[in-house]
Amino acid sequence: MGTMRVDAGFFNLRRLGVLACVAAMAACSPRSDNASVASGPDAVLGTWVPDAAPERLLAVDGSPAPLTPEAARVHAERLERLQSGDRSFDQTTWCAGPGMPRVLTMPYPFEIRRDGDYLAFIHGWYRWHRIVDLAGGAVDDPPLPLTMGFPVGHWEGDTLVIRTVGLSDVTVLDATGLPHSDQLVLTERLRVLSDGRLEDHLTIEDPDTYTTPWETVLYFHRDSTARVLDDICPDRIADGEPAVRTALPAPLANAQPAIELPTVTTDSAATATPRLSGMWEPKTFGFMVPEAPLSTAGRTLVDRGAAAMAAGQIMHTAWTSCRPGAVSTMTMPREKIVVLQSADEVTLLFEMPRMVRRVRLGAEHPASLQQSYVGDSVGRWENGTLVIDTVGFNGYAELDARGQPTSAKLHTVERLTLSPDNRSIDIEVTITDPEYYDAPFTIKRSWKKSDARHPFEYDCMENPRQEDFEDAYYVRERYRPTCMRVEGEGMALSRVVCNRPQE
Amino acid sequence: MRVSRRRLLGIGTGAIAFLSVRAATAHHSTAEFDYTKQITIEGTVKEVQWTNPHSYIQLLVDDADGRKVEWSVEIGSPSLNINLGWRKNSVKAGDVVTMLLSPARNGEPYGTLRVLTFEDGRQLEGVAARVRALPPPPANGP
Repeated sequence: MGTMRVDAGFFNLRRLGVLACVAAMAACSPRSDNASVASGPDAVLGTWVPDAAPERLLAVDGSPAPLTPEAARVHAERLERLQSGDRSFDQTTWCAGPGMPRVLTMPYPFEIRRDGDYLAFIHGWYRWHRIVDLAGGAVDDPPLPLTMGFPVGHWEGDTLVIRTVGLSDVTVLDATGLPHSDQLVLTERLRVLSDGRLEDHLTIEDPDTYTTPWETVLYFHRDSTARVLDDICPDRIADGEPAVRTALPAPLANAQPAIELPTVTTDSAATATPRLSGMWEPKTFGFMVPEAPLSTAGRTLVDRGAAAMAAGQIMHTAWTSCRPGAVSTMTMPREKIVVLQSADEVTLLFEMPRMVRRVRLGAEHPASLQQSYVGDSVGRWENGTLVIDTVGFNGYAELDARGQPTSAKLHTVERLTLSPDNRSIDIEVTITDPEYYDAPFTIKRSWKKSDARHPFEYDCMENPRQEDFEDAYYVRERYRPTCMRVEGEGMALSRVVCNRPQE
Repeated sequence: MRVSRRRLLGIGTGAIAFLSVRAATAHHSTAEFDYTKQITIEGTVKEVQWTNPHSYIQLLVDDADGRKVEWSVEIGSPSLNINLGWRKNSVKAGDVVTMLLSPARNGEPYGTLRVLTFEDGRQLEGVAARVRALPPPPANGP
């Protein structure tokens, strides 16, 4: 095991408590792009960039958080560790979920979208998203705490008020490790200020950790060049980068994304097309694609995996190494799926595997595509069926648990048809990949309307035990783990060390 | 320090076992657990670990010599167990429970839960509740 990578620059203790602009961030001279700002409650929609992703949250008056004596001891110990470069009290170190409000303090843009009574925060860090239930049903008894909790929102005038309970105590409030218990009640009041910035005024109530409720505030601005991109944390660690970058990248302002995303739209109610909006779940779970016409090259890879498994090895695919591709959501979707639909985009938010897919309606694939796990998806309506055409995959995805491979030549066409009673969606997926399959083939899946108001969450990188990777067979070298627990007695959670795979 | 080998659970293996709940004819290639066997253990819950990708219960069981043996039992994953009716405090440290499980093939005190039974007779299903005995993996694809 090598030593844990530490990027101490952003976390220099001398800077603690300073809500300063990060020099590299456009935030210091906000490039406000308010031309498309909606009026009324939906003004909060769109892409936002942190003004000053603070490493330490302070109360609105600049005072430190009112920690109880015991919590203060915990935090003081974390500050000491931070000074020595040890950030392992923050599970984002090994790519596990940041939770709330930690994710809002990270130097990544996020987008807020709404469709009907679901509002989604789509974050730029490792595919995290949270779904806010605007139907107003309070969550009195969360079944199990989640990192993103169970957020419920409503509007008070132009202010969006979000109350979140059921927040797991495994996360921290900020990068300095401010603790919280799972009794935390987080209330956010979001509004767009007269200068076009977004204000998120947070009230933190947690009697187990803080002597009194306290308030803090975060600011965000629009930047017409900011994009919420697909982000794979373990790949960044493998590339020698920190799990959480320390500032928005300077080139952001000059970035020319290959794909121009549509402007924000809000509601599908007015459209005449079928309304796929809402929360869904697979009717059944298929994890095998049984009759794929493997080519000789494809058969060779599958046979190699089968032999390894027959020898007792654990096979690791993109899915099990926490970097699934979009094709996995077509062949092996699990748990809740939230669909946000507008006239020019269908956004698919998958719980498991956790993924954000953006389908641009009526658009064409760009001539020059950057390969990615999610590919580039465009959609059109054909006689009431949504047809999604996706190319631009990076070849790091398997179709099923047997490891049937894909290449960068993969081309998928999904046909989603809403049932007459609006209670289910039948899906046909046609898969073409001449590298590994002799002919195109089609699989069928079906989703049913979910009665749930909140998705759960799947945090694949939460608990990477060393034993998970013993006697392992990696379908691709990239799937070797970047982070593992390496010490501890019994099942006690222990230290996680992140490494570049070759170290 | 390395964690004891007996703790092992492959994400891949676990995931496949876990998938097989809704697809009882599943393919469990790495065969970490022997689904053809079912054993019953009784003991006191030491810890419930609600973690992804898999959740566990640590159970202290008296062996034939009266020594405490700590079993590690995969119960599922958070979302799966919630769907099966579990809640955060359904099982607590100190609870005395009986577990029907399929054991690891390596003989270690490790297994995957089929059914947990409380002293009062209440039951909770685990990840392996509906997994039938599975055939060995195909040697040459499907």
